[in-house]
Order: sequence, then structure tokens, then C-alpha cells
Amino acid sequence: MTRGTLIYIGQRILLIIVTLLVVSFGVFAAVHSLPGNAFVSAHLHGQDLKDLLHQYGLDRPIPIQYWDFLKGAVHGDLGTSLQIQGEAITPLVIRELSVSMELGGSALLITVGLGMLFGVLAAMRQNTWVDYLLTTLAVIGYSIPSFVLATLGLLVFGLWLHDITGGAFYYPIQWTGTYGTLAELSVPAIALGLYTSGQVTRITRAAMLDVVQQDYIRTARAKGLKERVVTLRHALRNAMIPVTSILGPLIVGIIAGSVVIENIFGIPGLGKEFVRSITAHDYNVTVGVFTIYAALIGVANLGVDLLYTVIDPRIRY
Amino acid sequence: MATTVVTPVPTTEYSGGTIAREQVSLWRDGWRRLRRNKLALAAVIYLALLVLVAIVSFFWTPYKPNFIGACDTYQTPSPAHLFGCDELGRDSLSRLMAGTQVSLFEGVGTALIVLVVGVTVGLIAGYFRGVVDAIISLIINIFYGIPTLLVALVLVVLLGQGLVNIMVAISATIWMDMARLVRGQTLSIREREYVEAARASGAKSGKILFGHIFPNALGPIIVQATFIIPVAILTGAFLSFLGLGVPPPQADWGGMASEGTAAIRYVTHIVMFPSLALSVTLLAFNFFGDGLRDAFDPRQRR
Repeated sequence: MTRGTLIYIGQRILLIIVTLLVVSFGVFAAVHSLPGNAFVSAHLHGQDLKDLLHQYGLDRPIPIQYWDFLKGAVHGDLGTSLQIQGEAITPLVIRELSVSMELGGSALLITVGLGMLFGVLAAMRQNTWVDYLLTTLAVIGYSIPSFVLATLGLLVFGLWLHDITGGAFYYPIQWTGTYGTLAELSVPAIALGLYTSGQVTRITRAAMLDVVQQDYIRTARAKGLKERVVTLRHALRNAMIPVTSILGPLIVGIIAGSVVIENIFGIPGLGKEFVRSITAHDYNVTVGVFTIYAALIGVANLGVDLLYTVIDPRIRY
Repeated sequence: MATTVVTPVPTTEYSGGTIAREQVSLWRDGWRRLRRNKLALAAVIYLALLVLVAIVSFFWTPYKPNFIGACDTYQTPSPAHLFGCDELGRDSLSRLMAGTQVSLFEGVGTALIVLVVGVTVGLIAGYFRGVVDAIISLIINIFYGIPTLLVALVLVVLLGQGLVNIMVAISATIWMDMARLVRGQTLSIREREYVEAARASGAKSGKILFGHIFPNALGPIIVQATFIIPVAILTGAFLSFLGLGVPPPQADWGGMASEGTAAIRYVTHIVMFPSLALSVTLLAFNFFGDGLRDAFDPRQRR
């Protein structure tokens, strides 16, 4: 790792920190200016409500509350939930993050794997029915919202499979937590991954078509290399650079999709927690989850940038 | 043009007649190429029908879209109720028609907001460069680093669940792509000779930005705006699906799909039709956008 790379990483980490500060303050200020508060359902009035607000420090000015939040956050303490009173947010978020990461990670693997496979196949059979079929499938793929795919998955694997096999084998409609986690994540992960795989197919195809016209591919063929080696080692590796460049947006897209998917399947992840917290005015959880997501995206983007240097050693920072 | 004095080319030097082809505007040329693309043409026809349905639904639907008890709860499709009824006994076809309005407003309205904001910000960043560009680029980078749907959720809760607020919330999550595109275009166009000529002849910055740079970046901007529509419709459907879309009882496809998913153990028609409508509409916008991109910039054809 050169000095330039280290400086670059340093700059990027600085950008992540700036982003986290801006975003967490923005969300903090936003949710705290919402009408109503987390204790509406408790039906407290007058002095009781004031006491409770005071106990959680919610009666102080927002900048001071935010400063307190920051002081806790740097020590890894995101505060306590207002709704489930006294529940510490950090362990809650870490538990849910692990579920969401499993879901999102599987979806990302499906997206990239399937997308690149289809893209390479389409490019290798350019302007044949294989190409037309796969490119049309790709557009259809990213035109079907992930929640539609999820519902279809529920219908086929949850209900029809249940009826066909007489209830012997089916996918549970709501999260049970008793099955192996990966098995239970299969249908949601596929629903989530298929949507974004269409974009990967298009990018891979375009990149492959661009690369196979390059001189080094002709050289590789002239050397007498097998077509498979030319495609996989020479063409695909170079075609992976544009694919890598959309990994960042893909991850953001998968996170957005997972919020919806987790709510459909009742998966106890960060996305479900976020929607619950925001509708219930559970401010601390909202801010905590949001900050975690922003940190996740920042680190992922940094990882993608470093991945470039692995795929293409010519790229230096 | 009758008064224009045309200097004839001396026949001794040139005698081959006119070689310039018929003058075709950017729009006519684009439309001609678009027409040759069958998928894009089919998409245009579908979208035109959709707009028609949306307009008709303002004045007429088979039943009142929000009328509870038009038929039995969860009634399956029948001649009287072609698409069946939902859990409150409302006619699904009528609600589907009314939902067209929401999707189109969300899509087109958001695209317009993004167009205005993205183009302005992009032009300013690309033209003035320096500190202004650095600040705008930092803001764009910060927005790229945050989970978009979550921002939209927070904004909708903050602003309230009105249609306009939803458009603003969605715009806030996708304006960056447009700004970045316009900034890049501006950076390259501002170095062209005609911009230099305009500056030399004393044109003001505003005149150069909107009179010279913007028109020359119009093609890519329109294509980008077209692709914003399906993204906005999808994000709007996501919000509705999570219960933070347009407030009930207004019918919208995302909300209907959500109600249908909740009833999936009993009937499937409620979730089927809005899901299908949403998917086909997004598909049409994507095909249309692809066709438009190929028409405006044939070199980029993929």
C-alpha cells in the first residue's frame, strides 16, 4: 500500500465522518421537531408527562441533546429506546444489523452473480436470441418492484407449495426464527437480489462488448489461448471495472429494498426497526439506525474504491 | 426567410446542386428514430393510454373509488366487478383507475422538481467551479452516502403525507444524479468556442448558462429526466407500501398492493392487479427511456 493510497483512505474516512455528523444532526433535528412524542400512547398529561420528558432529557434544547447523543455515540452508546423504555439501542441495533447484513449480503451475491453471468452470456451471444432474451429479462427484472417479487414468492412458496405438498413442505409466511436463518432468508434474498441484478446484467454486457474489441483480446486470441480463458481471464476481469463502479449504488438500492422486504416477511432487521421507530416517534432508535446505515454505506463505498486497485493494479490513489 | 439574400456559389467552382440534407430539428430527428424502435413505440402507446385513464378517472370510474360497500368484502372478479373488490368492499377496478393519477403525478411531478433543482445546481457548480463547485460536490457526495429510502421516510413523516410533500421527499433522494450529470456537461460545454464567443461579446452569466450551455446539454438531461419517472413511481410505491404514502382513502397502487399482501392468505386478486399495473408501467417508462436515449444519442446505443 503506497503513501498515496493511505492519504486517500484518510480523506475518505474524513468524508465518512463529515457525512455521519451532517446526517445524524439532520435526522436528529428532524425527528425531534416532529409533532407529538414517543409517550402519546401512554396517555400522560401535565406534570407526569413533563417528568417523563425530563427523565429522558427531552425537554432540553436540541443542540444540547445532540451533543449528549454524540458524546455517547463515540463511546458506542446510542442511548436507550423511548418506546421499549430502558432498552439499550446499541445491542438491539447490532443484533438486527447481523440479520440485515445476512439478508443484504445474500441479495448482493445473487445480484452480482446472476447479473454478471447473464451479462457475459448476452455479450458472448451478441445479437442472437440469447442476447435479446437476457437483455429484455434484465429490463423486466428492474421494472418489477421487489415487493411484487416478494409477494409472488410468498404466493408460490408459502401458499401454493403448501397446498401441493399437502402442508409437508412450504415456506413460512411470517418470520419464525426456528428455521436455519439462511434457509429462511432464501425467498426474501432472492426477491431483493433479482431486482438489482437486471442493472448488473446491462452494465456487464455493455462492458464486455466494449472490452472484446480491445487489442489485448485480439493478442490473447492470436497467442492461441482457449476462448474460455480469453473470456474469463482477459475480458471479464477488465469488464469488472464498470461493474464495480455501480456496487455502491447497488448497496444503497438493496438497503432501500430491504426496508420493504423486511416489513413484508416480518424479518427482525434494521429496516423493520426503522419503520417501527419512525411511526412510533422512537427518536433515539430512528437516529441510531439511520447513523448505522450511513456508516455502513460509507464503509461499503470505501471498500468498493479499494476493490478497484485489486481488480486493476493500474488504478492508484 | 424570403428576405434572406443567398449568395450563389460560383458555378465555375461548384456545380453539384445542394448537398445539405433537409434541415431536421433535434426533436423531429429524435422522434423519427424513436418511432423505429418497436418496444419504445409500444411503451409510448401504453403510456398515452395510461394518461387517458388517469384523465378519465377524474370524471368517471365504474364505481366511486372510495365507496365502501360497492360489493362484498374480498369478492373475486366478476362481470359486475371486473377486478374484484378489496377488504372494505370497494371496487378494485375503480381504485386502480384512480391510483393511476397518484403514480403519474408522483413520477412526473418528481421529475419536474428534480429537473429544476438538479439543472440549476449542476449548471452553477459546473460554470463557476472553484469554491462553489467544491461545496456543491461535497453536498452531492454526502447525499450519495445516505440511504435514500430512509431519507424519504423521515421527510414524509416530517412534512406530512400530502402528494406534494411526497414528491419533495422523493426529489430530495434522487436530485444528485441530475446535478452530477448537468455539472459534467457544463464543465465540458463551457470550454467550447461558442461559449467563449458569447462571453467575449459581453453576455451575462445567466444568459450564457440558460441561453447557450443548457440548450446544448438538453438531450442527456431529457433522457435522465425520463429515467427519474420510474424511480420516483417506485419510491412512491415503496412509501405507500410502508403506510407512509398518500393518505387514505385515496387509492394508489403501492397502498393497494400492501392491502393485497395482507390478504394474501384468502384472496390473491387484490394484490395481483396493482402489482401488475405498477410493473407494466415501470417497464414502459424504462423501455421509453431506453428508446429516447438511443434516439438522442445513437452512439451510446447498448
